Parts: sequence; C-alpha cells; structure tokens
Amino acid sequence: MLKKIECFIQPFKLEEIKDALVEAGVEGMSVTEVKGFGRQHGFIEGERRNRKVKFRPKTKLEIVVDEELVEKVISDIQKLAHTGTIGSGKIFVIPVEDALRIRTRETGRSALY
Amino acid sequence: MKRNSLNPWRMALEQLDSVAGRIGLDPGIHKILQHPKRQLIVSIPVRMDNGDTQVFTGFRVQHNVTRGPAKGGIRYHPDVTLDEMKALAMLMTWKCAVVGIPYGGAKGGIICDPPELSSGEVERLTRRYVSEIISFIGPEKDIPAPDVNTNPQIMAWIMDTFSMDRGYSVPGVVTGKPTSIGGSLGRNTATARGVMYCIFNIAKKLGFDPLTQGYVIQGYGNVGGNLAHLLNQQGCKIIAVGDAEGGIYNKKGLEPDKVSEAMRESGSVIGFTDAERITNQELLALDCDVLVPAALENQITEQNADKVKTKVIVEAANGPTTPEASGILEDRGIFVVPDILANAGGAIVSYFEWVQGIQFYFWSEREVNLKLRDIMTHAFETVFNLSSEHKVSMRTAAYMLAVEKVAEAIKVRGLYP
Repeated sequence: MLKKIECFIQPFKLEEIKDALVEAGVEGMSVTEVKGFGRQHGFIEGERRNRKVKFRPKTKLEIVVDEELVEKVISDIQKLAHTGTIGSGKIFVIPVEDALRIRTRETGRSALY
Repeated sequence: MKRNSLNPWRMALEQLDSVAGRIGLDPGIHKILQHPKRQLIVSIPVRMDNGDTQVFTGFRVQHNVTRGPAKGGIRYHPDVTLDEMKALAMLMTWKCAVVGIPYGGAKGGIICDPPELSSGEVERLTRRYVSEIISFIGPEKDIPAPDVNTNPQIMAWIMDTFSMDRGYSVPGVVTGKPTSIGGSLGRNTATARGVMYCIFNIAKKLGFDPLTQGYVIQGYGNVGGNLAHLLNQQGCKIIAVGDAEGGIYNKKGLEPDKVSEAMRESGSVIGFTDAERITNQELLALDCDVLVPAALENQITEQNADKVKTKVIVEAANGPTTPEASGILEDRGIFVVPDILANAGGAIVSYFEWVQGIQFYFWSEREVNLKLRDIMTHAFETVFNLSSEHKVSMRTAAYMLAVEKVAEAIKVRGLYP
C-alpha cells in the first residue's frame, strides 16, 4: 500500500528534513511555499490575540512512500520539525490508491522506487 | 492427446525431494508432504439421454490443509488419473503458499469425454459427483474451481447442488462462478493479468523496457488471448501467437482485436491472414524477447529447448517446460518464471471470490485488479530476491519458498495428537 504524507512545517526546517528523509529512503518529494493558519489563527506565542485570523508562511511537503516507510518518515519529520513553540506544523497521512510513472508505465510501488 | 508420458506424481515427488535436500527439510515433515492428506475415489452413476445408466469415476484429492482450506480445480477429461490428481493437488499446495494465500492444495476430476456428453448429461454428472464428495467440500474445507473442460456454468451447478443440500445459498463453496451468483469481477482475466504483472516486474529487475520488446504467446484461449489484449493495451508488441492449429507471425506486430475476430470466424488464429503462417515448433523457436507458453503441458522439451531464442519465458500454462528442458534453459541463461508463480493470478482472484462470497460483500473490478497486482508483485519480488540470494533459478527459489512456508506451518501447529 502506498501512502502520501503531506506535511506543513516552518520554512527554515526544510533543508534538514529533506536530507534526513532522503537518507531514510524517500525517493522524491514536492515542496510548495504556502500560507495558512491553524488552531492559533495565525498568532504566535507572546502575540496578543484578537478576533482576526492571520496567515503565516509555511512550507508544504508532499511525499508518496510505501507503507513500510511511513513510520520512519513521520518520526523523522516529528523530530526535526519540532521548534518548541506553537506553529511547528502538522503531518497528514493519506492512502494512495495507485501511482504511475508516465514514461515507463510502471505502476504501484514500482513507479516510486 | 496423451498429456504426459511420465508419471506426474513421481515427477511431483522428485521436485519435492530435490527442494527438501536444498532447504534441509525436517524428515518427518518431508514424509507428511509426500502423502496427500485425503484421496477420495467415487463412482458416479448417471442416467444418459438415451435412458441407459453409465457409471463414471471421479476423484478429489486434498494434498495439504495446514495453511487453510484446500483449493483446486476440477477437470473433466478421458486421461484423468488418481496420480495426476495427486500431483496437481500438491502443485496447488505450492502455488497457494508461494503467493501467500491461506489455502492448501486440492484437485479433482472425472474420467469422461465432455464433447461426447450433452449439456444435460454434464449437469447430471456434475450434480451427482458433488453429491458423492459433498462431505469433503465446503467454504471452510475445500473449494473447487474450473479447470480443463469445466466452466462457470458447471461451477454454478456445483454451488446449487451444495446449497440445496444445506438448505441455503453457499457461494463460498466454489469459485469461478458466474457473477450473477457471486463470481468475482476480474476473475476471467486474472491469470493473464497476473502474467502481465510478472512481465513488468521482470523488466524492472532485469532492466529492460517492456514496451520495446517482441512478445510471442503460445495459446490463444482464456489466458493467451486475454494476455495479448492486455499487453497490446499497454503498448507492447506481440509478434506471434499460436493455437492448436498453428501459429501466425508478423514482426511488425499483430493486432489482438483482429486476431480474435478472425478466430471467432474461423475457429483458429490461423484464420488471420495478415501474417506469416508458422508451425507450433517454429513459434517456440522465434527470435523474440519474451515467450509465454499459455497452452498445454510439456511444450518445451529436451528436443526443442536448445532452439528457443528468447531472453525470458513466463510459464502461463501449467508445466509447459519438462524438467530436462528446464535444466537446458537454465544453462543457457534464459530467465524462466515458473508456473506456480506466473499463473497464480487465477488462484489469487479465486481467493478474492471466496472472501467476497463468505462476506456477501463484493468489490469493484479495479479493487480486484489492484489487490491482485499487489500480491503478484510481492510474490515475484520475494522469489526473485531468494533466487539472487541463493544463486538458484526462479523455479527452485519458488519451490524453496513454498515448501518452507508449508513446513513452517506444519511445524508450528505440531503433530496431532
């Protein structure tokens, strides 16, 4: 089974996480600069909250891996994305029905590795 | 046609013995596996259309049920023997183990000549046979399936006879049923699909592009014909196909749709005229990249194994390569995917049909196909890794894996009492 790991992290954590995941066996990822908010409505620690909602810059990683790698990828991201303050980010794990490599018509796990 | 001049049961035992030596099989477990668990011979009296009574002989053999209920086809053929049933039941034990579906092996058959029988006679023969073996079979005991000369209609009669005995519908007693009574979507193309997944897995491991190879398929029935269509849909080039009447060859590639159409009209692939006519022996000796024997047993023998000109053979048929030919191909460095792995797609989707039948919950065809692909790919990779690790052929590796799995199950369950 393939899973997609979609995670939102602090932009400055990206490089370190990328290197660790490649080391762990991840063969590809897509990275997007995004903005968003979570439970804190975009306010950071020490900031006075009001009724407005603010966007914060975040980095989104999308990684599709074999089920076997999921636990390792999650624990690496959890460890490395942790900032000690609110706004470290979130990880989502999504089932992927299939994957296809367009050039070779490889499918499933074979399309990733 | 005499399908096998050698004794099939002796050949099956030799195969087991050679693997046993290689994996250091426990002698007690080896002895258990040398004996089928149950062998039933039944007499089947049938009222013929002309009013006469004829008595047929039927068999059902369960080789081993340690990993789960027994599973295997039922064939109707004049050459059926008890030894053949024993050998094929053992083969099913290995096939289910190698792909990791929770079944043991079984096989059944009736000595008869179906073209000589009317549909009514076949129905009465089938129902009485089921009635004679009824205490032997069931969703949790032994689940028959189609084989030589048996089809979805016959499976429906098996299901109905069993269900009448129980007093309620039992779809899980047999697989290969029509979809209207619990047959699985995707069952019809399952074996061909499994072969195709094998081919793509080989391409990945051996590092060739499956789309630029030349494919030759011997046999154009359920497996060969469906495989030609599936490969063609992927963009693969089929340069030759054949059936009992002979073969057709076009190095630019054949269009399966047109070949099937010619076959429907004339009864044979040789009815397709936009290709060169070749003999069956020429077909097997064609210069190609992937050769798929999808017809009968013993097609590649010590007489023609040195003439085969292909990189890869995928055994879609059962036993298309004799043991002697197998040795010759191995020496020549031809990569052979053995039958128990290559054609397991049918058994795998039979398993899905049984699972759906006992749950009364049915899957989409896409779900069936994706699950089949997962199991085939996993089994292929396991056998391939074992074969690289021990430097043995794919056939030896598949048997090592299968026998080890069954032996482990016997060991952990222990010997009763």
